[in-house]
Amino acid sequence: MSDLAQMSAGAVRGPAKRTGHGTQAMAGLALVALPMAMLLGLILWPTMRMIGATVTLEDRIGADRYVAFFGDAYSMANLRFTLEMSLISALTALALSFGIALYLRFSAGRIATMIHALSLFPLFVPSIIISYALVRFLGPNGLFQLLLEQIGITQYRTPYLTPVGPFLAFVWENLPLPVLVLSAGLTQVSDHAVEAARDLGARPLRILWEILLPQTRRSLLIAFALIFLGILGAYTVPYMLGPAAPEMMGVYMQRTLGNLQDPDSAQVQAVVLMAIASVVGGFYIATMLKSQGAER
Amino acid sequence: MLDIDTITKTFAGAPAVREATFTVQRGELVCLLGPSGCGKSTLLRVISGLTDADSGQIRIEGADVTAMQANRRPTAMVFQSHALWSHMTVAQNVGFGLRVRGMPRAQIAAKIADVLDLVGLSSFGKRLPAELSGGQAQRVALARCLVVEPKILLMDEPFSALDAHLRKALREELKALQRRSGLTTIFVTHDQEEAMELADRIVVMQAGRVEQFGPPGRLYRQPQTLAVAQFIGVMNTCTTAIQDGMARWYGVDVRAAMPPGEAVVLCRPEDLYLDPNGAAATVTRVIDLGPVTKVNLITPEGDLLTWTCARDLAPVQGALVRLMARHLHVFRGGNLVGRIEQPDLVFQEGAMT
Amino acid sequence: MKRSPIGGLLILGSMALAMIGPIATVILWAFAIKWRYPHLLPTEWGMKYWFAMLGRETVITPVLTSLALTSISTTAAAVICWPAAYAFARLKFPGRQVMLFSFIAAQAVPKFALYVSIAVVFLRLGLVGNFWGVVVVQMLSAVLFMIWIPTAAFRGIPPALEEAAFDLGASRLRVFVQITLPQALPALAASYVLAFVSILFEVDGALLIGAPTVTTMPLLLMSLSAQIIVQEAAVLCVLIWVPCFIVLLLTRRFMTAKGIAQGFGV
Repeated sequence: MSDLAQMSAGAVRGPAKRTGHGTQAMAGLALVALPMAMLLGLILWPTMRMIGATVTLEDRIGADRYVAFFGDAYSMANLRFTLEMSLISALTALALSFGIALYLRFSAGRIATMIHALSLFPLFVPSIIISYALVRFLGPNGLFQLLLEQIGITQYRTPYLTPVGPFLAFVWENLPLPVLVLSAGLTQVSDHAVEAARDLGARPLRILWEILLPQTRRSLLIAFALIFLGILGAYTVPYMLGPAAPEMMGVYMQRTLGNLQDPDSAQVQAVVLMAIASVVGGFYIATMLKSQGAER
Repeated sequence: MLDIDTITKTFAGAPAVREATFTVQRGELVCLLGPSGCGKSTLLRVISGLTDADSGQIRIEGADVTAMQANRRPTAMVFQSHALWSHMTVAQNVGFGLRVRGMPRAQIAAKIADVLDLVGLSSFGKRLPAELSGGQAQRVALARCLVVEPKILLMDEPFSALDAHLRKALREELKALQRRSGLTTIFVTHDQEEAMELADRIVVMQAGRVEQFGPPGRLYRQPQTLAVAQFIGVMNTCTTAIQDGMARWYGVDVRAAMPPGEAVVLCRPEDLYLDPNGAAATVTRVIDLGPVTKVNLITPEGDLLTWTCARDLAPVQGALVRLMARHLHVFRGGNLVGRIEQPDLVFQEGAMT
Repeated sequence: MKRSPIGGLLILGSMALAMIGPIATVILWAFAIKWRYPHLLPTEWGMKYWFAMLGRETVITPVLTSLALTSISTTAAAVICWPAAYAFARLKFPGRQVMLFSFIAAQAVPKFALYVSIAVVFLRLGLVGNFWGVVVVQMLSAVLFMIWIPTAAFRGIPPALEEAAFDLGASRLRVFVQITLPQALPALAASYVLAFVSILFEVDGALLIGAPTVTTMPLLLMSLSAQIIVQEAAVLCVLIWVPCFIVLLLTRRFMTAKGIAQGFGV
């Protein structure tokens, strides 16, 4: 080794483990500082500021704007619509993916591989693309209607611009995550364990509930929370496919802020949505902490 | 050649290595042997420089290298997981240390070819680690270290992930290679058979301490501590007390010229022999292992004994036999107090008549 | 739990229709010149609308804007996130777990509501309708990919690989450049691609922060999709999405199911 190489080797401290704790802590904090600043500056700070702004009236502090929001039938209808949409879509996505994952668990071969690949396909399709595609596919005189008419069904009524439109899009978009989670969880259980249970006289439903699901239940809850939250804060899908009224909160907020130029009301709507999300989000975070704690 | 001088290493308050001290001679193959968690791997890492010792000194050829980083020490380590770089070919893996040293390309290529030939993988240079079997990968890992011509080769349980057959074959290859090259080698293992077969000398470690350092045979026949005696091979253990120069051993008294007090008396199963005046025991099971026969016994007091003997000497199950030992190892407080060779029986009055 | 190929084929068929059908429709439209009800397929094929679209400045400008904006945001996010990911994976510092966790927890915030709050702040700062305002907001959507996937990747490199190189005489820098980085590179590239594509098609932030002065490709797509000529939006979809899809498929190798699920804290 040349002197120069020795010097530089000496100057650089050894692998991470060797480095003094103080130096390492400083380096670590410095490296994560910028992303953390982004998190604080673009999520925490605007949110906090927004909550403050919504209760700051011209002459005093008060919840008047919230009273107005909750007193407004249209706003409440939108909120209810959003919640129902999120809940029903998330549950449907879970139920469907459950069926797919179960099928995948107990089958092998080319058909199963193709089903698996198809169920993951939405991971690669952005919201805006699938929204537009569904408009063209399911919309009036769309390909789906044409296909149905080929086999003699002519009473097709398009879900486009009805609540069913965004519902279908949300289910479509959110299929891969629970399929991934569930099929990963289900394959953890060996065939022998299932056979042993069947041998002892367990019915399929009982096997499902007591043998197959326990390992997956927590992941499922997390997947549900994530899907629910995603739909709650969605804009593109309801804008492209949804009805004009009631609107989902994303569309409502955008219209309030952009078209009506009413940031005060838009912020109130945003805070209400965040408050609701924080309940589910808190649950998501708690479950996640628990499952990470269990891993470590 | 290599001096380990009162090395101590503590992890988060738990001592991993405590005041380890020993000296390795040039060309020697030394095994660090002990159960998992005994600190042997930590000590190896301290020697390599990958882990800092809290106190103590490492000297190589008399030069203090304690403060030296791993990348400047004249040691090279083979890891348990082989740690080959999957993004480099075998040849690139092997050549890495030479490239680091700034050696000219042509020379590197020649050296790679030589060392791959040495480990029997001359045609594998262009392969990727993913295309190697476990044994081949470990050979490449060895070649990667040999090529930089370290003063000391360190091996951290290199064969433990391989199957028994391959492990044995590689062990013999390594021993032959080490003999030929005369490379000072430190080999960590928890497998005593491996250690006995490979090592010129063995360092037995237990709970971070060096229990004993010596040639394999001596560790087996002359264990210095109870831990070594019980870790290496099988021992029949009898807890007793020494009084008036006598020790009670499975119901018979033997002469023990040692200070009185509590003691643990050990003997090897193969050191037992039939003796009409020996300790009485009933045969509970006879197991024919092929080369030897293992006999399990129980004494009237309920102590369990194991005896290995030639097949024609083996009694039948249920038989009452009397056994004596050729050597007894006596320990007190974990340390050897003495050894009783061909112990004298002290006949009790009843037996005398 | 009986095995019957008919059941499987039935599932496969309906899945294929549901998953491929919508996208296929768009692709058909993109190459259709005439497709009138009730014909199942276009009656006249051609790429007429492609040439029309590609020659129009109102199309070219948003596409270029989107590409520039996405490249800048993704690269900037990579520059600040990858070193952080390395720190999360390899260094010990106070608050490490909590901070790493907060990046996952950030997903629990409903996106559009968050963008409303940011939009109000940016409005005051004059960043609404500003290219750089959109760049900053879009970095936010990249952060998750850029922290979690690389952190998992760095963590997944056995320390012995680095130690072996260090032990053979390499300097710390050399170990990082020649061992750590190449080992992590596939995952880093995957995180870059994922972030790039998700920003390229991002609507919410672009709409609230960028509109009306900064028009990105997805915003153009939205306005085109409301028009009578179906082919224009379809051409844009195929033009932008198909290359992205192919690149994403290539990175799939590095995105195991477990990796994706981990990213969501599942």
